Amino acid sequence: MKRSAVSQSLVMRLVRSATLWALPILIFTAVALTWFYRSSTYRIFDDPMVSAVTSLIAAANVPASGDLSQLNLDREPTDPRYLQALSGRYWLIGTLANDGTVSSVKTSRSLYGETFKLNPRYAAQLRQNRGEEIAVSSTGPDGEPLRVIARLVTLPNAAQPVVIMAAIDSRPASQAVRRFAFLASTLMVLLSAGLVTAVFTQVRLGLKPLFELRDTVADVREGRTTRVDGQYPPEIQPLATELNFLIDHNRDVVERARTHVGNLAHALKTPLAVLVNESESRKSGRDAEFSNIVERQTTAMRSQVDHHLRRARAAARGQAIGVSTDVEPVLSALARTLPRIFRSKDIDLTATIMPALAFRGEKQDLEEMAGNLMDNACKWTRSRVKVTAVPNPDDETSFIITVEDDGPGLDAADYATALKRGARLDEATPGTGFGLAIVDDLARAYKGSVKLSRSDLGGLCVTLILPMITARSQSIT
Amino acid sequence: MRILIVEDDPDLSRQLSEALKDQGYAVDVAADGEEGHFLGDTEPYDAVVLDLGLPLIDGVSVLQKWRSDGKTFPVIILTARDQWSEKVSGFDAGADDYLTKPFHTEELLARLRALVRRAAGHSTDTIEVGDLLVDNRAARAFVDGSPIKLTSHEFRLISYLAMHKGRVISRTELVEHIYDQDFDRDSNTIEVFVGRLRRKIGTDRIETVRGLGYRLVNPAETKAK
Repeated sequence: MKRSAVSQSLVMRLVRSATLWALPILIFTAVALTWFYRSSTYRIFDDPMVSAVTSLIAAANVPASGDLSQLNLDREPTDPRYLQALSGRYWLIGTLANDGTVSSVKTSRSLYGETFKLNPRYAAQLRQNRGEEIAVSSTGPDGEPLRVIARLVTLPNAAQPVVIMAAIDSRPASQAVRRFAFLASTLMVLLSAGLVTAVFTQVRLGLKPLFELRDTVADVREGRTTRVDGQYPPEIQPLATELNFLIDHNRDVVERARTHVGNLAHALKTPLAVLVNESESRKSGRDAEFSNIVERQTTAMRSQVDHHLRRARAAARGQAIGVSTDVEPVLSALARTLPRIFRSKDIDLTATIMPALAFRGEKQDLEEMAGNLMDNACKWTRSRVKVTAVPNPDDETSFIITVEDDGPGLDAADYATALKRGARLDEATPGTGFGLAIVDDLARAYKGSVKLSRSDLGGLCVTLILPMITARSQSIT
Repeated sequence: MRILIVEDDPDLSRQLSEALKDQGYAVDVAADGEEGHFLGDTEPYDAVVLDLGLPLIDGVSVLQKWRSDGKTFPVIILTARDQWSEKVSGFDAGADDYLTKPFHTEELLARLRALVRRAAGHSTDTIEVGDLLVDNRAARAFVDGSPIKLTSHEFRLISYLAMHKGRVISRTELVEHIYDQDFDRDSNTIEVFVGRLRRKIGTDRIETVRGLGYRLVNPAETKAK
């Protein structure tokens, strides 16, 4: 899952394809450069040896007897290193056996009586190209690698051909080539690193509007903003426009569904009120039986209407994209309305609400939850009700609403029952009987929670934890 | 006591108006927001029953207009939507109480009584003036514990005087508060009602303040002076 997500990333795809064509080119360049350098180095390196071989051939005299052991040189090559023992510069004139062994006839002083072996493969090559110079490698008397220029020639008066070779320690040349190869590879690695970085930066820069669009869409989803605003390049502007259209359409559909639900409520409840009143007015007298039936049926109809309204609202819940509700206005409105509803009780309601809290959900649902809790507290309180709303200190993605009263409260044993649908712990105080259960249901739908405890004021303390809109976290591409 | 009902459903409107008349109220009815607003603006009601979902002008707007015009009569709103936002906007617009449909008429009557007496500064439904007792809940009056037989207009008169006991009430005010708008108003009929009432409860209980109007008094206290 994670792997495929990485390989699907646009940035990675572009960087990878750029790397795929750049890398072989760079490797080829490094190899070619090294090869050219190597051949030109050896051409310069071989030059003194070629002239040494040429001058040896010119200086060699074979006596008329044809005895090669009597071969003498008019003059020897002048380089003093040919005289110094094991100097790394040698020359040799000898005969070549079939197995490649060279029996020396005359050598430079530097060889100190040693000879060098020739690979049988080279011996064959020499014989094939008689009279031509070939460059071969061999091992010197000191075990050093040698570069050898050899030529197989038949000298005048000689009965058999002789091989004339000049050799030089090849280490300085191969070292220079190795240094160059290292330098070239290092440069190419640096170049490719720079290239990949440049491609990466360019792609990031080029795709920046796309990333912005992605972040804005996330903001809409999380409820931090309501529309995909801002200017985008012509390639993705239609996408932004279309997204806005979809968002508006979604809100419209959800809003319309909710309005329909409200209209249905209004349309059914007034006739119900008429029926209830009519049956009530005929309770005494001849129509008593009829009145009872109407009352029973209207009660059933009312609970059906309520049930289906709740279901319809629940179905619409969470459908709208990125809804956000400011907590403060909702709680403040409830805090000033509830004491008016309970005017006969003279309630002292204090609400401490942290500003800038935003609930991740529908306004209506927040009203329903907070309203029911505060209504419940006002029903049971003697006079004081305390409401607070603060961010959750243990979890930065949620906030806490507490509603406390100084009424009789509940026994800890009854807490679970109070949250269960249909539970009604005291018939004395009017109400639907499942106010707390509705709050619990709604909170669960938002992955929040309701907890009951004893308040410091003496009565019940209800703690409601709900998801909060958080600031945009830094996004990684 | 004179009540205005603003409700677009004719059946509900009729039921409420009948129930209120039975309780001894004078009742006017409006079927849309425009008419309701006009009546509330021009007539001195003691309380208003206002439906929120009205044709032409919605209930909340009607209420806001009344309040910004300085109308202080208590208003109870009827709403089919049991959402908190509806209650909040209703109370914010200046409602004194609300009732969610469907409701029992008894409930509405009890709340209405509470609103009317609270507006007049009384804490119970029964008002005592010496040994005269006016029970607004049962729409009956008692002198020295024995019930008095009263017509509905007579009860409205004694109830209004009792609600504002000790204050001089002008004939115009009485006319405005005990007759609904369709009644053929004639301030002379007030004199007739006051005369009948005096015969039933005792002449010295209703004082005539010449040129100003009438006042309900406790004869025992008046004599002591």
